[in-house]
Amino acid sequence: MEPSVRKLYLWFAVLGLLVGILVVTAFYKDQHREWKDWQQRYIKDELARAATPEQRADAARTPLEVRQVVLPDLDRVDRCTSCHVSVEDPSYAGFPLPLAYHPNHDRHPFNKFGCTICHQGQGRATTRVAAHGHVEHWDRPMLDMKYIQSACAKCHLPADMPEAPDLARGRAVFEESGCIGCHKLHGAGGVVGPELDNVGAKRDAAWLLKHFKTPAAVTPGSAMPPIKASDADLSALTLYVLSFTGEALSAYYVSMKTIPGPQAGRRLFAEKGCIGCHAIAGKGGTIGPELDEVAKRHDAQWISSHFKNPAAVTPGTVMPQFNFNEQEIRALTEFLLSLTDTNVIGFMRIPSLMTPLDRGKAVYKKYGCAGCHGADGQGGVPNPNAKTAEQVPGLKMVSEGYSKDELKKRILDGQREIPVMNAKKAPPPLYMPPWRGKIAEGELSDLMEYLVSLAPKGEKVEF
Amino acid sequence: MLNALWKTFRSTRVGRSIFRVGLPESNFERAQVAISSFFLHFQPAKVNRRALKFRTTLGLGLISLYLFLILTGTGVLLMFYYVPATDYAYQNMKDLEFVVTAGQVLRNMHRWAAHLMVLFVALHMCRAFYTAAYKPPREFNWVIGVGLFLLTLGLSFTGYLLPWDQLAYWAITVGTSIAGYAPVVGQKLKFLFLGGHVVGESALIRFYVLHVIVLPLAAVLLIGVHLWRVRKDGGLARPDEPVATREDLAVAQLPQTKSYGLMELARGTTPVVGIDPQEEVFTWPNLVFREILLFMATMTVVLVLAIFWNAPLEEIANPVHPPNPAKAPWYFLGLQELVAYSAFWGGVVVPGLLVTALIALPYLDRKRRGVGVWFSGERRVAITIFSLCLSAAIVLTVIGTVFRGPNWAFQLPWKPATPVAEEH
Repeated sequence: MEPSVRKLYLWFAVLGLLVGILVVTAFYKDQHREWKDWQQRYIKDELARAATPEQRADAARTPLEVRQVVLPDLDRVDRCTSCHVSVEDPSYAGFPLPLAYHPNHDRHPFNKFGCTICHQGQGRATTRVAAHGHVEHWDRPMLDMKYIQSACAKCHLPADMPEAPDLARGRAVFEESGCIGCHKLHGAGGVVGPELDNVGAKRDAAWLLKHFKTPAAVTPGSAMPPIKASDADLSALTLYVLSFTGEALSAYYVSMKTIPGPQAGRRLFAEKGCIGCHAIAGKGGTIGPELDEVAKRHDAQWISSHFKNPAAVTPGTVMPQFNFNEQEIRALTEFLLSLTDTNVIGFMRIPSLMTPLDRGKAVYKKYGCAGCHGADGQGGVPNPNAKTAEQVPGLKMVSEGYSKDELKKRILDGQREIPVMNAKKAPPPLYMPPWRGKIAEGELSDLMEYLVSLAPKGEKVEF
Repeated sequence: MLNALWKTFRSTRVGRSIFRVGLPESNFERAQVAISSFFLHFQPAKVNRRALKFRTTLGLGLISLYLFLILTGTGVLLMFYYVPATDYAYQNMKDLEFVVTAGQVLRNMHRWAAHLMVLFVALHMCRAFYTAAYKPPREFNWVIGVGLFLLTLGLSFTGYLLPWDQLAYWAITVGTSIAGYAPVVGQKLKFLFLGGHVVGESALIRFYVLHVIVLPLAAVLLIGVHLWRVRKDGGLARPDEPVATREDLAVAQLPQTKSYGLMELARGTTPVVGIDPQEEVFTWPNLVFREILLFMATMTVVLVLAIFWNAPLEEIANPVHPPNPAKAPWYFLGLQELVAYSAFWGGVVVPGLLVTALIALPYLDRKRRGVGVWFSGERRVAITIFSLCLSAAIVLTVIGTVFRGPNWAFQLPWKPATPVAEEH
């Protein structure tokens, strides 16, 4: 053999060794996965706890494998239980993570819901960092437990969720702050700011919180007025806005929204005109009995069978049979049962029970007028370069300057061009959006009552 | 001991039926093994000593071939998992990373080998140019080489879409829109590629079929022809041997008893075959061993890259959120840079002229000068023109890759522009 070939043998040895080492490294890296460590830890623990030989054998047989919940309806595969092995085992309550038990999951069984639908994160991932989603190119990291209630709103209405008080509080702050006046949500609202339908998926909690406190700090040039509320309220607002994920869930999960709750019952109660015969809080018809404390007189069973067929429960009654379906009956029953322990009128919000002034006030809130014109129309929201003292005008004196018809026209048409203070500077960012086609005629009349009522009593204003 | 085992196996009926020759021990057997083995017969029994020297070709063509083989191997394995549907493709990538045994390393190997192949095919082409390897009789093999270069780009480009992440989606959107700038046929061509006006389900399935069936088969065919012609054209291009004198011929023809096999016949201007047998060495083991070593070296590089660097994977493709800037794959960024100056001139005329020029090159520059010599002084004009074009391509690609920020504005890579705040 030629010497030049003999020299090649050394190269064969070196490169062969290199390729060998690399292949072994690749396989080691592939086989060594952190979830295996946790499962081994779990098995060790199970072995230590085993009291009988059978239990010991069971524990020893536990396979080392990727565990996953496949949720085709949610388009998810959650492998969280590969590390969080014992989430369903109450004997692991209070254990350090990841082997801790997950309390309160009986109504949301893991095999139907998985984990990431509430907690977010990356369900398919099997490493801690990637699964918790704190990695580049994954925009849904795990939700801070502070905001976990926002997940409830994916399937439930905030008003139906006494278990999620922050969510209801956030919704209240959202309504009181008048966000809807400028922002559209689910197709309703103003056009001055961007739509909010999936802002909860686009932004994280820190961004939202900062944005509410000083909008211009995170969105340079933003004209949005800062939201004046307590830290707790802003936190609740953040939580509520985080729930606007725009996710399209499948029918099973969305149906939770129509699970008959007191809110749905309240709407039905108003729609069907029950108030014509029955009174609540002293208002309404007198043909049927008052309903304030009906829950004290009858149980749920009685009330629902009464809705099904009044005459069968109360022979000789004049109440007609309404042919409600099961869902409606449950909703109405829930509503009636809720009357005893709620501030009746405040909770009811049944328009026909309210005065036009109260309804007008509700309209002012519904369309988010407060967002720009201030709570109770006192104004003070800055609008740089607007002729009106660089502010959105307050509404206290509005009934002095305009007739009702002029006011209505103003609201329906809006005002895109706001008179400027200095023609050289940029035009004012805030303007009045047109509400034609969005606000109902009756609502507009009620709103007039409210606006007129804003004028201070007993004062004559001189111009 | 291995040797003894091998000999025992070879002595059986089965062993003999598989390996016709066995490990060659005589020169006759060394020739036999090259001729009778399917895998070795692309090469002659004996090759010129120059072929063994690394500096002759730098191994560039062979490395390209090896990368193609690695890509085929890893690609077939990846096909066992991949589903070309927009609902599953991205999830497949995640599954490869998190649950499939060796899934991530396979994908990494495939990705890095693909980038390397584009690079090495281009380098191989430069080598062929700078050593004047396209001169007669090798003109058409150069044209096949240009075809293989375009196929490599096509393979890489079609594979780029398959992970269905933001990077893939927008690179393909940008890349195919460049094709749309061609006059008359541009939009039709784009529609043909995408199966629609935007990148979607039908684009994904088209790219997939092109990537795993059409283009690889075409590449295998062309690679076969390419290698076959290298062998039939007398091996690697080398400087012309001095013309044999009458005396040489007389000497060469003297020993009538010695015969040279047909396999050693090189095409030439004289019938002198064995004028310098000392310049020829047996392919086995001299060339074959070196080829195997080069494969191992290629494999080493690909494995190192695949073990220590993960293939990129961004967010799932989102047709309503273009990144700013949206960039084509790196090998098209020179083109994208040109398109930024002028869609028609940069996107159609320049690349069209370049490909035409590459194909026409061996028919325009056909004087046999400087063949087999790096940067031969006799080809100053050709080398200058080619180098200028090559430098321009490199500069444009580098500008497009690292010096372009949001809205394709110039930026320094160490001072990236602050991301533009979203419109409020």
